[in-house]
Amino acid sequence: MTRTYISHHPLDGLLPLEPGIRAVDHLDVPRAVAIASVMAMEGEEASVTAGLAASGDISVRFAGPGEWLALSRSETPDSLERALSLLLAETAYVFEQSDGRVVFRLSGPNVRRILAKGIATDLHPGSFEIGTSSNVLCGHIGVNLARTGENEFELIAMRSFAVALFDDLRVMGREFDLSAGFSTLG
Amino acid sequence: MASLIHCPHCGIRPKEEFSIRGDASLVRPDPAASDEAWNDYVHIRSNPRGRYHEHWQHGAGCRRWLVVERDTFTHEVFSVTDAASVARKAGR
Repeated sequence: MTRTYISHHPLDGLLPLEPGIRAVDHLDVPRAVAIASVMAMEGEEASVTAGLAASGDISVRFAGPGEWLALSRSETPDSLERALSLLLAETAYVFEQSDGRVVFRLSGPNVRRILAKGIATDLHPGSFEIGTSSNVLCGHIGVNLARTGENEFELIAMRSFAVALFDDLRVMGREFDLSAGFSTLG
Repeated sequence: MASLIHCPHCGIRPKEEFSIRGDASLVRPDPAASDEAWNDYVHIRSNPRGRYHEHWQHGAGCRRWLVVERDTFTHEVFSVTDAASVARKAGR
């Protein structure tokens, strides 16, 4: 028997398809982001770090010693995995994770006060600088948090936790009238 | 309970991100060791008041096993080290 699998976003049905009115604090959910997980082979951590730093428009998130998540908005999942496998051949294991993770982008002037309701880590601009990323606990859900701009953070969660995390983020942002929608950039 | 742990990989983190897995000073006996030695290793635990080396796993962070040296009475944390480097230093 052949089955046709249709790829759909876990928040389909929870978010309107058309962009609505955007509040100052906004939760943006990009639909298509290529994500790959990279694990350095033993003793190769430094060369993988250097290789990832030279990888151009691929955004790299720290997930643990010798472990990263690589994100790209321009590459397809397959081409990202291929590019990383070529770049890091013999030094790291690369696994495609695009359908396994969901990206949330939270931005606005109150973003730290919203995140403080779920995350106990210090996010002060002086201690969590732009480009910093780390795995943290948001409520009861482990996420990878990265600061991508002055008042912009990205959370990457496991797909099966996406709906629960989305509900949590909505409750956390209700005080600030947080709006949410799929990213207009795709 | 110490409420903030300084993870060597992730920085200062709340204790909720960790799971505690007990005494870190135990050394696994030789497979051919006596039943008493194995019984002690598997079942017998002390419950000290004061300084204690404990295995903590940073499950919600870097997922590494850490050795936390802390005081069970004052909750003071003296040191946090990656368990792999502790084992390497001990020649295991």
